[in-house]
Amino acid sequence: MPSICFYFQVHQPFRLRNYSFFDIGQSDSYEDDKLNEEVLNKVSEKCYIKTNRKMLELIQRHQGKFRISYSISGTAIEQFEKYRPDVLQSFIDLANTGCVEFLSETYSHSLSFIHSKDEFQRQVKKHSDVIKKYFNQTPRVFRNTELIFNNELASFIEGMGYDGIVCEGVDRLLGSRTPNFLYNSVNTGKIKLLLKNYRLSDDIAFRFSDRGWKEFPLTIDRYAQWVHSIAGNGDTVNLFMDYETFGEHQWESTGIFNFLDALPAEIMKHPDFNFKTPSEVIDSYPARDTYDAHDFISWADMERDLSAWLSNSMQQEAMKRIYSLESEVKACNDPQILNIWERLQTSDHFYYMCTKFWNDGDVHKYFSPYDSPYDAYLYFMNVFSDLECRVKALRKKSKKEMIRSLKRPSAGSRIIEARVVTSAEELYSH
Amino acid sequence: MKNSQPKVLMLGWEFPPIINGGLGVACHDLSSAMSELANITMIIPKSSPDFKMKNMNLVGINNLDVNEYGSMESNEKLPFDLKTIPADLNPYYMEEPFQEGKENNSQNSNFSGKVSPFDIDNLYGGDVISKVMQYAEITANLASKMDFDVIHAHDWMTMLAGMKIKQRTGKPLIMHIHSLEVDRSGVDSKGWVYELEKKGMEYADLLIPVSNFTASNIHKYYGISMDKMSVVHNGSNKVKSFKSKRRFKEKTVLFVGRLTRQKGPEKFLDIAAKVLETNPDVRFVMAGVGDYFKSMLEQSAYQHIGNRFHLTGFLNQEKLKYLFSVSDVYCMPSVSEPFGLSAVEAAQFGIPCVISKQSGVAEVLNGSLKFDFWDINKAAGCILNLLHDPILRKKVVEDASENLNNITWDLSAKKIIDAYASRKFI
Repeated sequence: MPSICFYFQVHQPFRLRNYSFFDIGQSDSYEDDKLNEEVLNKVSEKCYIKTNRKMLELIQRHQGKFRISYSISGTAIEQFEKYRPDVLQSFIDLANTGCVEFLSETYSHSLSFIHSKDEFQRQVKKHSDVIKKYFNQTPRVFRNTELIFNNELASFIEGMGYDGIVCEGVDRLLGSRTPNFLYNSVNTGKIKLLLKNYRLSDDIAFRFSDRGWKEFPLTIDRYAQWVHSIAGNGDTVNLFMDYETFGEHQWESTGIFNFLDALPAEIMKHPDFNFKTPSEVIDSYPARDTYDAHDFISWADMERDLSAWLSNSMQQEAMKRIYSLESEVKACNDPQILNIWERLQTSDHFYYMCTKFWNDGDVHKYFSPYDSPYDAYLYFMNVFSDLECRVKALRKKSKKEMIRSLKRPSAGSRIIEARVVTSAEELYSH
Repeated sequence: MKNSQPKVLMLGWEFPPIINGGLGVACHDLSSAMSELANITMIIPKSSPDFKMKNMNLVGINNLDVNEYGSMESNEKLPFDLKTIPADLNPYYMEEPFQEGKENNSQNSNFSGKVSPFDIDNLYGGDVISKVMQYAEITANLASKMDFDVIHAHDWMTMLAGMKIKQRTGKPLIMHIHSLEVDRSGVDSKGWVYELEKKGMEYADLLIPVSNFTASNIHKYYGISMDKMSVVHNGSNKVKSFKSKRRFKEKTVLFVGRLTRQKGPEKFLDIAAKVLETNPDVRFVMAGVGDYFKSMLEQSAYQHIGNRFHLTGFLNQEKLKYLFSVSDVYCMPSVSEPFGLSAVEAAQFGIPCVISKQSGVAEVLNGSLKFDFWDINKAAGCILNLLHDPILRKKVVEDASENLNNITWDLSAKKIIDAYASRKFI
């Protein structure tokens, strides 16, 4: 009995303002608050509010048989808290139906897994906490930023106690196999992989309103036919996409909401088909084979690899610099500094610096708030420089304070003093 | 203005308020100083009614009646053969891909103009050769009705005009050489502009290169005899220098100029990387725009010095001065720099300069450390020494300050008039 498994990605970055060289050491306001608020309001109106209302309606109409999942980044949640609590509430309402699962991800939608396992774990935990706080769920399934995945991630995530991971079903890894089964990873135990069916996902997410597409306009019965055709050769059709597909990437005028409205009923016309959340899919079906992703894969661009964020020297330099600051940032023990640093890890900053000029370049450009990838790099590095100055100043200050506290006669025991001396020496040995 | 003063017909191209590079500044400052010693008429493509100069007759072609000067067909044959091909030449890079404090450049382009012979707002854009020819035609017609002793043309854009006027009037033609095609495009460039420069300089009676460096280039690459040249270095105007507090703790090394091959931006990058190997606590700031902008960003990232190498984009005067006021060393790694006014400006702000020997300013700014533009190690060493050795730094700055007394436009003006006289032009 095959299932349809929907997972929608909800993410908004904190975009940086045009932070110039002359702002370094002068201004600690890095983000374009006005733009961020504007974008969030626009997307809320066009997508989140409307689509959430539709999802709630569909869940109620189908009496719990329509089931979906979301992954909402920590930065998106922070923006909802700040600008649109009504949107956050509408997600909570969806959570309360019991038909919606929330997945786990890195808090700031970062590429931390590639650069720092410590930071990765910290962010996953932080995100998990915020999901628990708002939606009263402890995520069992993990999705990494932009479905970035490799064998190592599977085993690492298994070690963190997760039951499943969502990732891209990449042709070159699947070969003649179908993404419509659960898979195992290499060198792991029980953890299961849910592979995105990119053809059926992209039919909705990208091609729906493409007038040049031979299937345009896509009717719901035609689409349901394609889904039903997997019967007998698949357990789950994983439809993963950006949530902004509804109303933002595909405008309401394309008929996307009518399509969504009719979808559950049309799929369930076939008595064998149902809807399940990722955890339910994992609980219902066995893994049929092994999916071996030695190198990193992702759901981005034609290449389905890391090139959207790490293909040119600017992206690599910016990324290297931001993670090189990790130990200093963490030693500051300053929640605000940590927060800023965490936000600078958001993958979008590096996506804007991409200089690939194929079809994907257009997509990068569409999403970028800057005139060019060069501007994106320039502003980012200026912000980085300012943050670096602040971190250094804080560290210097705390070292001074530590020395002063050593000189002060203390009532504490000798043992404690000796320990402090050791750590101060450690500090200077660096 | 006295009647006994020599009458000079000057031909200019860039002029305030339209300034693209050093040429506009130099023409303005020089003619202003010369106007104390001579009776000057300056013809430029565009003058603004708001912009007046003391003791000087400033003629903008945009204010002329085209029927009177523009369409007079001349059947005269020029004393040289120059193929004319309309071309989209762009000798000075104009695009500004990233702008800091963007100025409003779009002044109303048709102010009080009776004629608009060409798109004057963009002197180096579009079909620049046809602009040069139109300027020559109109200027020559205009000059026929004027009284003057010498023709003084600035750079290749006005050479054709100078030649036509000499041909018609027989007056001595002086060519002031601020920059050559071989500086801008490399020694292998042999295009239309090069041909024009060569023919023009051959036809002229006296060349005034802005440095010995340029004089030797003229000799070497254009085959002109040194006897025909009188070197007159540029001067500089006194500026009110000041110091500002740096907003970050790292010392700062500054580069100012168009990001083009001629200015050696990639040398600056290599020097930066070299310095940072020894001392990672230095910031390198590159102010300016040009066709190397993107590649500078990419290369600095590639060399992993993106956190210490900053590009500011286009800067207005105020921001530029601020940069001078917070910088610790000025670096000018030009591959071929006829003069290099920016180094003088840096010296005026009390910043020690590390400059390439392939520059004119190196001849007059003895208080500076010099290197061959290809010698990255030496330049990096000089910068490190200046940053770490306060005694050396003090000495260089003091010597430069001494030099500045002799780098004045008044001195340049006097030398030019002397050159006229020694050649018996006046």
